[in-house]
Amino acid sequence: MKRISRAENEELESLVGSTSLPDTSRPGSRRARWDIRDHLNLPQVTARYALLVIWLLMAVAYAAVMPDKFLRTATAQAIFGSQSAVLFLAMASLATFVVGEFDLSFAGVMGLSATIIPVMTSLHHWNVWMACVLAMFCCFGAGLLNAFFIIVLRVPSLVVTLGTASLFLGIAEFISSSNTVAVGDPSFSKIALYNVGGLPVSFYYGVILAIVFAYVMYLTPFGRNVAFVGANRDVARLAGINVNRIRAASYVVDSVIAGFAGVILVASAGGFDPTASSTYLLPALAAVFLGTAMVIPGQFNPIGTLLGIYFLETGVLGLQLLGYSGWVQDAFYGAGLVIAVTLATVARERIKRT
Amino acid sequence: MTQPPRLVLSDLNKRFGDTQVLHDVNLRIAPGEIHGLAGQNGSGKSTVIKILTGVYKPDPGAKLEIDGAPMAMPARWEEIHRAGVSVVHQDLGILDQLSVAENVCVGGFPRRRFSGAIDRARRDAVCTDTLARVGATVGPRTITASLGAADRAEVAIARALRDHRAGEGLIILDEATRSLSGADLERIHDLLRRVVAEGSSVLMISHNLAELASLADRVSVLRDGRLVASGLPASEAGPEEIARYMLGGTVDVQRAAAERRRVTTSAEVAASVSGLRSERVRAIDFEVRAGEILGITGLPGSGYEDVPYLVTGAMNAREGRLSVGDRQLDLARCRPREAIAAGMVLIPERRDRDGVALEMNVRDNLSLPSLRRRSKRWFVGLRWQNELFVRFTEQLSIKTAGPMSLIRELSGGNQQKVLLAKWLSTSPQVLVAHEPTQAVDVGARSDILNTLRGVAANGVALVFVSSETKDLVDLCDRILIYDPAAGLVPTDTRSEDDLIDEIYGRSDTPEVSSDETD
Repeated sequence: MKRISRAENEELESLVGSTSLPDTSRPGSRRARWDIRDHLNLPQVTARYALLVIWLLMAVAYAAVMPDKFLRTATAQAIFGSQSAVLFLAMASLATFVVGEFDLSFAGVMGLSATIIPVMTSLHHWNVWMACVLAMFCCFGAGLLNAFFIIVLRVPSLVVTLGTASLFLGIAEFISSSNTVAVGDPSFSKIALYNVGGLPVSFYYGVILAIVFAYVMYLTPFGRNVAFVGANRDVARLAGINVNRIRAASYVVDSVIAGFAGVILVASAGGFDPTASSTYLLPALAAVFLGTAMVIPGQFNPIGTLLGIYFLETGVLGLQLLGYSGWVQDAFYGAGLVIAVTLATVARERIKRT
Repeated sequence: MTQPPRLVLSDLNKRFGDTQVLHDVNLRIAPGEIHGLAGQNGSGKSTVIKILTGVYKPDPGAKLEIDGAPMAMPARWEEIHRAGVSVVHQDLGILDQLSVAENVCVGGFPRRRFSGAIDRARRDAVCTDTLARVGATVGPRTITASLGAADRAEVAIARALRDHRAGEGLIILDEATRSLSGADLERIHDLLRRVVAEGSSVLMISHNLAELASLADRVSVLRDGRLVASGLPASEAGPEEIARYMLGGTVDVQRAAAERRRVTTSAEVAASVSGLRSERVRAIDFEVRAGEILGITGLPGSGYEDVPYLVTGAMNAREGRLSVGDRQLDLARCRPREAIAAGMVLIPERRDRDGVALEMNVRDNLSLPSLRRRSKRWFVGLRWQNELFVRFTEQLSIKTAGPMSLIRELSGGNQQKVLLAKWLSTSPQVLVAHEPTQAVDVGARSDILNTLRGVAANGVALVFVSSETKDLVDLCDRILIYDPAAGLVPTDTRSEDDLIDEIYGRSDTPEVSSDETD
C-alpha cells in the first residue's frame, strides 16, 4: 500500500474536513446509499424470510388436508383477530430484550391490570375509564418496582421478575377474591371489539404498536441509543449514553405496554381470571424469540415478533381444527420456542460464514 | 544419561482469518528450568498458551513433545495435563468461599470407593502434602477469602503441582504474579526456585521484566508473533535487553528525531488535569495544548494505563480536577457524557469490549456519538450518516463491504479506524487515545498515526497513552513517563532506545547496548 511521505504529511494541514488521503491501491467498495445489491444477497434473504416460506407451507398443508375447514374467512379472522393481547405482551417483553434486559413478570402485570379494571367497576362502582387509568398507574408502579431492584439494587433480573410475577399474581387474586369478575359496559368492549374491515380494532392497535416500536427503534436517535445499550453496554456508556436510565425505562415501558394488554383483554373478554395470566407468558416469549429468526436475523425486532405471533397462532389453530385441542397449544408453543431459537442461531451462523 | 527436554514446541503457526498471529514459533524448555516468555500485548504470548492448552487449533504442521513423547496436535488438554502440564492463570482461579483443600483439589478430588463421595480425609492429606512441597503454611480447612495475596498464589501453584510427582511436570504461570510485590513476590520466587530445584519446569509469562530477568534461567521473547529471542541465557537477559527485543530494538534514530514536530508552546492550553489520584495512580498533573501531541507512558502494570479512563470519566478517580476549555469537571464524579460534552473524547484500548459494538454495522457505530446532535428528535435520518460513512472511510482508508457490514466482519486495523473515526466525527477539543495502534497491521498503523498527526495539525489536543515506544517517539511532541513514586516525569529523549531505557531501566544499571549482536 501507499505510504505517505513526511513531506506530504507536513502539507496535510487538515485531515478532518479534507479528503486528501487518496488510497488508489484499495478500490473502494463504499456503497453508502441504499443499494439493491446490499439486500439481494441470497443467503441473507433466505435467512431473513425463510420462516415466512415455512408459514406459507404450513398454511398450504392445512388447506390441503382440510380445505373446507381451513380455507374460510373465519379462520383468517380467528388467526388475526384473537392475538392482540399476546401481541401487546410480546412487544412489552421486547422492550426489555432490546436493551439486553429480561423480564418474566409482564404476564403478571397484565393480570394485575386485567383484574383491577373489572374489580373497580363492578365491585367498587368506579367509572370504567377511571379504572383503566388506575390500572395503568399501577402497572407503571410495577415497572418502577422491577427497575428499582434490578438497576438500583443490582439484583439479577431473573430473580426479581420471577418474584414480582408471583407477587403481582397474588395481589390480583387478593383484590378479586380469587373470582372471575366481569365488566358489563358495552361501550368499553367497543374499544377492542369494534369491527374494522372484518377484524376487531384491537388487531390494528397491535400492528400500529409494532410499527411504532420499529420506528422508534430504528429511526429515532433514542432508539439507536437503545440498540447500542443492548449490543454493548460499555460502548454505549463511553459514548455518553445514560445506560441505567434506558435500562430502567425499558422495565417501565414493558409494564405499561403489558398494562395495555390487560385493558384489551378485559375489553374483549369482558372479564379475567387472574390465575390465567401465566398462560400468556410462553406464547409471548415464543413469538419474541421466533421473531429473532426473521427480518433482522439474530436480533430482537418488532416486525419479526409481529409475524412470529401469527405464525404460532396459525400452527395452533390448524392443529385445533384438525381436532387436537387443549394440550396441543402448550406443546406447539413450547416446541415452537425451542425450534425458533435454534433457527435463529443457525441463521446467524450462516450469515457469519458468508 | 541425558534427559529429553521437558517441552519442545516446533513450527507453530497460527492465523486468524487474514492475519497471521504466530510465525514459526519454536520453544524448548529444559527440565528444572524457569523459562521466561516476554512480549507486548498482542505479540502472541497468550495465543501460544491457548494452543498449548487446546483452546485454539494451530495451523497444520505444528509439533509438540513433552518429555520426549509426541503429543497430538491440535492439543487435547486431557492428554497434555496427563503428561504433566498445568497452568496458573492471571486471576489464579481461586474460589473465595471454598477452603484451601477444596481449592487445591478441585478437578481431582479423591473419592470414596463405593459411594463416589469426596473422601475428605484423603483430600486434606493430598492438600497438606502438596502444600508442604511448596512450603506453604496455610491449613487445608482455611477459607481462601481470608488469605493474603501471596498465600493465594501459593494455593494456586499447589493446585498446579497436585498431580505431579516431585521433579516432574511443567507449570505455566500466565502472569500469575501480577498482583504481588515486594516480600510477597520474593516468597513466590523462592517457592518457584524450590520447585525447579526438584526438577520440575516453569514457563513464566510476565510483564514485569525485572522479575523475568532476576528469576528466569532463560528468556524467550515474542514480537508480532515471531520469536525474536529464543532461550537467552540469564546473563544476556537484563530488563533492558528484554525490552529491546520486545519493542523492536534497532531504531532508526535519525528518522524518529526528524519526524518530531516543534512543541507548540504558544498555543493555548486545551485541557489540564490536576491532583488526579486513584487506587492505582498517585497524584499526577499535566496539561496539553491545542495542536500538541502529548505522550504518556510507563512500566506496564504501573497504573499509567488507567489515566486515559480517569480523565474522560470512564473510570472514576479518588480525586482530581479537569478543565477543558472553560469547563471544570470533578474527576471523582464525572460521567463520560459530561467529558464528551466538554469536548474530551476517549479512544479506549479494548476496542472489542469498550470501543465498538461488534454486532452492529459500520454506519451505526460511526454515527453513535453524533446521534443526538445531528438528528431531529423524532427522526435520525440516513443522509448525514451516509455522508459520515463516505467521508471517514475515504479519509482513513477504511475497507468495508458497505455501510451495512458488521464491525465483526472487519479486520482489526479497520475496526480500529472505525473507532477512531467515530470520535473524530464529533470534532473534539481533546482526543485521549489509549494504545490506538495495538494489534493492527503495519499499513493500518501508519494510516492511524498519519490521521492523528493530521488531527493535531488541525488544532486538536492529543493525549497519546501507549506502551509502543516507537509510536511515542514518532508521534509525540512531548513525552511524560509515569513513575509510581514521582508521578509524571518529563523526558527529553529523542530516540526509542533511550526511551526504553528510561521506562524500563530508570533505577537499574546503565550497562546497556554492549551486546547487541544477535
